[in-house]
Amino acid sequence: MADTQTVKLKIKRQDGPKAQAHWEEFEIPYKSGMNVISAMMDIAANPVTKDGKTTTPIAYDSNCLEEICGSCAMLINGKARMACSALVKNLEQPITVEPLSKFPLVRDLAVDRNVLFENLKKVKAWVPVDGTYDLGSGPRVTPQKQEQAYPLSNCISCTICMEVCPQFNESTGFVGAATISQVALFNDHPTGAVLKEERLHALMGDGGIHECGYAQNCVESCPKGIPLTRSISRVAGQVMLQTVKDIFSR
Amino acid sequence: MSTAVSPGPSSTTSANDHPQGIAPLRAGQGHEFFWRRLHSLTGIIPVGAFLFEHILISNATAINGATAYAHQVRFLGSLPFVLGLELLGIWLPIAFHALYGFYIWYRGRANLISYPWMGNWMYSLQRWSGAIAFAYIIWHTYTMRFTGVDLHEVPGASFGKVQHELFVTPLFLFYVIGLVAASWHFAYGIWLFCAKWGITVGERARQKFLYICIAFFFLLSAVGLASMTKFRSTPQQCTDQPCADQIEQAK
Repeated sequence: MADTQTVKLKIKRQDGPKAQAHWEEFEIPYKSGMNVISAMMDIAANPVTKDGKTTTPIAYDSNCLEEICGSCAMLINGKARMACSALVKNLEQPITVEPLSKFPLVRDLAVDRNVLFENLKKVKAWVPVDGTYDLGSGPRVTPQKQEQAYPLSNCISCTICMEVCPQFNESTGFVGAATISQVALFNDHPTGAVLKEERLHALMGDGGIHECGYAQNCVESCPKGIPLTRSISRVAGQVMLQTVKDIFSR
Repeated sequence: MSTAVSPGPSSTTSANDHPQGIAPLRAGQGHEFFWRRLHSLTGIIPVGAFLFEHILISNATAINGATAYAHQVRFLGSLPFVLGLELLGIWLPIAFHALYGFYIWYRGRANLISYPWMGNWMYSLQRWSGAIAFAYIIWHTYTMRFTGVDLHEVPGASFGKVQHELFVTPLFLFYVIGLVAASWHFAYGIWLFCAKWGITVGERARQKFLYICIAFFFLLSAVGLASMTKFRSTPQQCTDQPCADQIEQAK
């Protein structure tokens, strides 16, 4: 650590979905409290590589910079994590930065994570409250239920649980932990429960909950500490009970 | 994501809207749920139940000597519809569990190098231990059931037939590896079954049940090893018909 005043980054660049990927190295002055996003902001202010070649600012998704919007998930030193909470002082240098590997690439570090939103739509991850007249106030949610729901409601749709999952791939088309956890959340909600059977039936389709291999990478890597394996086991139990119910009542 | 949103018109997106990337959930489509859950269930019943009987009951009787072992083999061979029991209770379920297991393995993308966490190790170990156990089981079934003395006809030859293999040290080591692989695959498989079928839901419940499954692994391995040691430490028993009948009739 002879030189603690500069930060070395090695960033994977790609001009578009069909372009060739290549690496660019940067060396920029260190600032106190610097994270990977603020480092890339500094690069954008002066987009020159380590070799002195002028380049374009790096394209990436980010917004809140406080690990609450879920935009800036990327591979940092080979591991999927939020770039905003990846503090430079805690990272081994050169810091390698790559886009998430399991989503269609848009440009540089920006990827299309639409599959998560498609999955949330498939399982109807919402509370249906629309009507042509005032439905009045909903049923009371007990504090115990609130305690259970709150951690699940913290999901920021970052897709890290899907990126790190060995079962989330093109062969299985697995739905992933985030969506299953949202099923747990909305099935628990007294009004949301009206769609419980539909959600469980959706999760029995190809790519559903049965594709989980219980490697537990999801719960290890979730930046919000959501008990994802607990959600998977709970919803898996609901799916099995629904299966038994279907066998005898259909 | 916790905000309540109204259900929009049902999504009409098709696979064509996702020319690249991983497909979204195919709600209401396909039969993979049935086959995956059948695979999971067959691992416990009947395959696991058979392994339990095979190691903890039948083979453990070898510890009581050649005659006790011959009686156990005669009892199993005299069960009604024994060929049907073997076919539907053992061979077909194992074949399905193993071949569908390889299909599951083929469709997974292990990422141990990037994420070397305990659960991820166990994910890969479950696949490797299954493959090793399957290779062992094929060879073991071939040599014990389909070649040499037919033990359904001559139960008294059982002890000597097993000894014949276990006295060869490389084969003895193959037995040990097969035993440990099958025991681990079954013990951790029970843990996986309970986690995936929603029986052990909580983190602490899963943690405690893991200790129980590990203890069960040691039990299976220890009893299996004790049986094998008995075969190795007893003088070679005969396998020809008249002599084998004497073993079976001995007190």
